[in-house]
Amino acid sequence: MDIFLQLIISGVMVGSIYALVALGWTIIYKCSGVLNLAMGELTLVGAYICLSFYSWGLPFIPALLATLVATFFLGLLIEHLLLRPMIGQPILAVIMITVGLAFFLRAIVALVWGTDTVIFTPPVFSAEPVRIGTMVFSRVFIWSCVAALVLLVVFVSFFQFTRWGLSMQATADDEMAALSLGVSAKRVYALAWAIACMASAVGGALLGNINGLNISVGALGLLVLPAVVLGGLNSIPGAIVGGIVIGILQNLSDAYISRVTPGGVKEIAPFAFMVIILLFRPYGLWGWVKIERV
Amino acid sequence: MKRAALWGLVLALVAGVMAGAASAAEVRLGSLNDLTGPTSDVGKDVALGIREAVAYVNDTGGINGKKIRLSLYDYGYRVPEAITTYKRFRDFDKVPAILGWGTGDTEALSPTVNKDKMPYLSHSFSAALSDPKKTPYNFVYGTDYSSNARAAITVWYDEVWLKDPKYKTLRDAGRKPKFAAFYANAVPYSSAPIKAVKDQAVLLGFEVGPDQDVPLTALDTKSQVLAAKTFGPNLVWHGNTTMSVATAIKDAAALDLGADHIVNNWGFDENLVKLVGPAADNFNVMGIAVNAFYGERVPLMDKVVEYARKMNPGVPQENRMIRTVQGWVQVLMMAEGMRRADRAGKLTGEGIKEALETLREWTPGLGRPPVTVTATDHRPGSVIPIYAMKRGKFELVKQVDLRGRWPEKWDREWLGW
Amino acid sequence: MSYLPAGLYHERYAQEHAWWQSGFVRAKMVLLAVVLLAGIPLAPTIIPDLGPYLISVANITGYTILSALGVQLLIGYCGQITLGHSAFIAVGAYVTAIGILQYNLPYVVSAAFGAIVAGLWSVLFGLPSARVKGFYLIMTTMAAQFITVDFIITQYISRVGDRGHSFALPPGTVRVGPWEIDNDLKAYFLTIILVVLCMAGMANLMRTRVGRAWIAIRDNDIAAETMGVNIVYYKLLAYFTAGALGGIAGAMWIPSQYAVSPEHFPLSWSLWIVGVILIGGIGSLHGVVFGSIFVTGILELLKAAVLPLSDVFPALTERFIYTKEAAFGLAIVLFLLYEPRGLAYRWQQIKNYFNLWPFPY
Repeated sequence: MDIFLQLIISGVMVGSIYALVALGWTIIYKCSGVLNLAMGELTLVGAYICLSFYSWGLPFIPALLATLVATFFLGLLIEHLLLRPMIGQPILAVIMITVGLAFFLRAIVALVWGTDTVIFTPPVFSAEPVRIGTMVFSRVFIWSCVAALVLLVVFVSFFQFTRWGLSMQATADDEMAALSLGVSAKRVYALAWAIACMASAVGGALLGNINGLNISVGALGLLVLPAVVLGGLNSIPGAIVGGIVIGILQNLSDAYISRVTPGGVKEIAPFAFMVIILLFRPYGLWGWVKIERV
Repeated sequence: MKRAALWGLVLALVAGVMAGAASAAEVRLGSLNDLTGPTSDVGKDVALGIREAVAYVNDTGGINGKKIRLSLYDYGYRVPEAITTYKRFRDFDKVPAILGWGTGDTEALSPTVNKDKMPYLSHSFSAALSDPKKTPYNFVYGTDYSSNARAAITVWYDEVWLKDPKYKTLRDAGRKPKFAAFYANAVPYSSAPIKAVKDQAVLLGFEVGPDQDVPLTALDTKSQVLAAKTFGPNLVWHGNTTMSVATAIKDAAALDLGADHIVNNWGFDENLVKLVGPAADNFNVMGIAVNAFYGERVPLMDKVVEYARKMNPGVPQENRMIRTVQGWVQVLMMAEGMRRADRAGKLTGEGIKEALETLREWTPGLGRPPVTVTATDHRPGSVIPIYAMKRGKFELVKQVDLRGRWPEKWDREWLGW
Repeated sequence: MSYLPAGLYHERYAQEHAWWQSGFVRAKMVLLAVVLLAGIPLAPTIIPDLGPYLISVANITGYTILSALGVQLLIGYCGQITLGHSAFIAVGAYVTAIGILQYNLPYVVSAAFGAIVAGLWSVLFGLPSARVKGFYLIMTTMAAQFITVDFIITQYISRVGDRGHSFALPPGTVRVGPWEIDNDLKAYFLTIILVVLCMAGMANLMRTRVGRAWIAIRDNDIAAETMGVNIVYYKLLAYFTAGALGGIAGAMWIPSQYAVSPEHFPLSWSLWIVGVILIGGIGSLHGVVFGSIFVTGILELLKAAVLPLSDVFPALTERFIYTKEAAFGLAIVLFLLYEPRGLAYRWQQIKNYFNLWPFPY
């Protein structure tokens, strides 16, 4: 029972990082309908930028803030160069341009920062975990949980209560109508990408503290997809919940199903789960029920 | 603009073809490395070491006066690219020998390499490559993974289980020590020694528990550690590269697994110290090193440091690892083989193979135990150094001679797996 | 839209339906056959250094063509986006390998089995297409990639016969009839035959009612259904055919590499072949060939340019090597931005230019 609880807890912890990245993905989809397969690489870039600032002497919090500013502009740049010309193109072209971006970003990261494993020195979080009773919590993951929750609250209130948030929702719902009301679609898309890059940069910066940074960390981006399918493609709370559930699912499936298989369940369990969801409830927990049934 | 680019490409191609023609006083050497793929965290350092070592060889007389011309290529651990690059090395660059890298591609290329009579000295120490009956042209410069694993578990048993007061009560109660393996099931190099290490565990009297699958890029291994905890191992074997081993050790420390750790040679380096940090001080972390660590006081290490500073000043000295030294050992062994082949007048694939098989108790220094390669056994030797990580530094625990202890098994049973 | 040259007219329906409608095109095809069947194989004797290398590049191009054909069918002709095609290539390769190694079946029989099993496996993962479309289908195909390659093949299939992960086929096991395929040249001939057969098959398939049904589904599946096309049946048929083509690509991989391992079929290869199609042109068979030649050619040129430079500028080129991947990503992005209809469209424009000259249209 103890072990079960610990599995759940550590699943929530890891899941909070997935949740941060899924949040970014959902914002892009919610506001511009783009299915972004470059999420992992954006996380990676954000993490490396934060590491650079940190190794230049800035303490962690200012480095994180500087990263947010830098990735804000990166998001604007990507949107302007790559996505703006793709407006109106078929969905495959848009997806593939994000794939092209992913390949390109990964190579740029390798070019600029090299492929060595780099770590945040001096370590930002103490390696000593927090112990409550028999449960163990790593400090990094606690902070990432906090960050995910904070960002959740921030973004939900942003979309509900601010003018920008409402314009973004309106554009996602019906672009023509929003344009006729004076909402600038271009600004909305640009802002969506900028926010998404910032959210994934936070996730990346926290991720980098766990075990050092390396190009392979970008593979995380693919796990985002089961998370958003579970939560519903355009629901922000759904992204957070989806990420956390995927984290828990990974741990549970590894502990209990791995006994009957030679191994490797942890990596593919989210995808198998995703297929099942797609068959029975494709719009996830909170997504708009707008699926075209065949 | 476009035209200029086109011309540039054409000129590069022409230059390439012209450069392809080697001058007579040159020996070519091909090298496959991983600078951008999943093992690039160790691969990059090795590649730097290889280049520096070739420069050193050329500066100190080359191959009996001929300089080595190195073609080093990054194949990113993609096996198909390894195969096409091998063909390019063979047909276009016409190299007489190749320095290889990873287990997957070395094993995949093995039938071709043996058919082409191309000596292939790889960084993959898979035991399947050390039996000349099956793979006569595959060579390794360090003892194979299986023997390394056997040595590590033997040393832990001798030095820790039998001597450490921590385990006295368990020993007196007649309990068997418990062993579990953490490795990436799907990766050939990682799963190569598992059968052998479990065999050795049984031989020494361990109780073997279920394996835990840890992917090479694992961020979180708590579920694996928790699953292992139900078995309660005293010793855990780590078969992966540094990143995931560090994650597993840190998680084991956080969750109080209470076990000691032995790490395979590709997970045991200066990066492990940096990543694991102080978490490892409460238990023993030991591992295999095929030669000395960077900067240790052994013969020729001063040259390694000198060339590292000279040729790659941009890479900080504290980032250089044992992998650089491994690259040096590989190049020096190949250079020695080439020299002997050249003296015998046969600087060809076959000649180099035969020359390498004449190595007897040869060492390039650098903390490499003497290498003996014969026509019936390509295992470089049976003496394996085991180091321990203590307070951020590496200390030699013991150099165990497997053949000395189990001569029958070494000669007959253990070859090739 | 490809125009016929002026002055060409047909007197019978058979001429109208022919694949090669003018003497010029027939001459071109004969020239192509000469280059493929004689020119490239003779390259080693004409250019001794570059020749064998050229053949191995041709083999990789052929493999890319076969891999991309299945994807072109699904995406370009049937409108189902698939991002997990390497899974089916892997299935074909493994079934072929196991057939040869475990059951000692001849290569051709194993390859046929490989194609059929890959087709059926593809249908399994195509079943969700009966219920969902668009993004969700893409997710299902990606899941297919991971589940098949990373789990089932890695954990179960590659253990068959206790071989470990890389099945290395011993020399002498791959025979087609009386010929043993043991070097690049013979693998090249096998590849050419397979590519020609598959492309001819696809081209003819597109002319039948099946092909028309697929194109109807791609253009507007609801309208197709109202016209009486059974879309579930035709979609599953498309998945089966695409899977079978992938299986043939996998079967071709075996004699070319003489080894197979799950690492040969990663997600990036699936994305790669979709990129190949985009560069070549969606919905066009020519596009598959052009895209494959372009992508393989660019990479080989980069490699050729980098290796000799590495002697002169070692540090520079070790970083330059990373731009291989960047080059592919950049190529996709640039093509999508500036040439969205791909190389096939450009080829058509060039042909039309000559056919219509001196008129502009």
